[in-house]
Amino acid sequence: MSGTADALDPTRPLPAGPRRSWLRVRAIARRNAYVLLREPHRLFDVTLWPLVDVLMFGALAAFVGRGGADGGQQAAGYLLAGIILWHVVYQSQIAVSTGFLEETWTRNLLNLMVTPIRETEYVGGVVLFGLAKLVMGVGLMAVGAWVFFSFDVGGIGLALVPIAAVLLVVGWAISLLVIAFVLRFGHGAEALAWGVMFVLMPLSGIFYPIDALPRFVRPIALALPTTYAFSALRGVVDGDPLDWGLVGIGAIGAVVLGAFATWFLVRMLRLFRRRGYVTRYS
Amino acid sequence: MEPVLVARGLVKEYRRTRAVDGVDLTVGAGERVALLGPNGAGKTTTLLMVLGAISPDAGEVEVCGVSQRRSRSAAAEHIGFAAGYLPLAGELRVHEYLTMYGRIYGIPDPGPAIAAGLARFRIEHLAEAMGPQLSSGQRTLVGIVRACLHRPRLLVLDEPTASLDPDVAARVRDGILELCDAEGTALLVTSHDMREVERLSERVLFLAQGRIVADGRPEEIAARFDREDLEGVFLHLAEDRLPEREPPGGQQTDFHL
Repeated sequence: MSGTADALDPTRPLPAGPRRSWLRVRAIARRNAYVLLREPHRLFDVTLWPLVDVLMFGALAAFVGRGGADGGQQAAGYLLAGIILWHVVYQSQIAVSTGFLEETWTRNLLNLMVTPIRETEYVGGVVLFGLAKLVMGVGLMAVGAWVFFSFDVGGIGLALVPIAAVLLVVGWAISLLVIAFVLRFGHGAEALAWGVMFVLMPLSGIFYPIDALPRFVRPIALALPTTYAFSALRGVVDGDPLDWGLVGIGAIGAVVLGAFATWFLVRMLRLFRRRGYVTRYS
Repeated sequence: MEPVLVARGLVKEYRRTRAVDGVDLTVGAGERVALLGPNGAGKTTTLLMVLGAISPDAGEVEVCGVSQRRSRSAAAEHIGFAAGYLPLAGELRVHEYLTMYGRIYGIPDPGPAIAAGLARFRIEHLAEAMGPQLSSGQRTLVGIVRACLHRPRLLVLDEPTASLDPDVAARVRDGILELCDAEGTALLVTSHDMREVERLSERVLFLAQGRIVADGRPEEIAARFDREDLEGVFLHLAEDRLPEREPPGGQQTDFHL
């Protein structure tokens, strides 16, 4: 069979190029989708927990808003918009981290590492699947906020897009850092996938300006791109135009964090190969 | 014979312990080679370096002329790997699992390759089974089918029949031999079952303390070590009677036969 005929034969491997990479990306995304659908407790991440968060923070908002003053309405907006946008960071991070952890839990890592799949194609697959989970989880929260508390997050308008984009990149960057730590330290580092979010949440000023934080942690908060994104969000909730300066600082911070996370992951992957850590999972 | 695998001067140290100490290894097209040695001899580390899962501290691996260090992905396209101890990824049916790997190997429609692979090992009935439902023998067979979907030039198997019943082990062996004959696939296999090695391989490499101490046909190696069979050679090396590269009564330092 000629090379051209081989390239057209769907039962033969495609030549190197974007079509083959896309095939691999989809294969990884589909594998994660099967895991989600066949292990119902995994669906809690995109159904139950987001709804519980909406109920909790929505109820808190309703309680605060009972005073009827404008301040109550404002707090309600901060709480519900804040928690919904927080889930952009959370869902994007947790989907990619647990997508990788799944390979370690099922001892599939060695099988994958000896195939031609590139690291970028693998990450592309879990990111693609993570986006689907993100749409499910955040979409359900938006519907829940509207049905339970008549809060329309879409009312914030197009300003949501750049803010959500910054948060999305931060979520992916954190997941790359988590994967890097798991490669280096093994199962002991898995708790970071969830733990880091509990640290990041209060420091990012999701519901309040960081002036509300104790003075000694403010420098840490100021170093986080999420702080600027949520600050911009509160401004929009207050009815102000989007503060592009804040979004810009957040975007630069997210890109810097992403670049650092990628560099760190590449280093840890090299170390993983050099020290033979793959045998931990085989 | 055109080589599909050339490894030169492979060295790997773990915390001051030299697990692999200057291994040179060549496997020709369609050749069936076994890598043997006692526990800790460096077999799995050598295999993992050949596969690109571990980077060597020194040395080079080339698969079909492609440098593993410079282009791991391109080199991996020519290799298939399965190990008896690795489970299938959870929560997938066998055909879903194989389809995933087929596509990772770049095959848009891996259906025909999956059907042929399952038929080769007489496990078509497992296509709809979930991974965790499979016995260890069935998992091994599915793993080998996975490793061969893209018709690799080199099939690397680590302990393919470990803990299998004799009838299943025989089926695995027959399937591997049939595959190698039909596709011209080269085989690099490790095993602790010396009878299996004698049936599967044309050439045997013995590793001891991270070094290749013998390289040749099974019967020639047994004769060289003055043993009846490979098991005798294995026991001899395992007892560490021959840490140096010297056969009993001989002065040679190179056992390539």
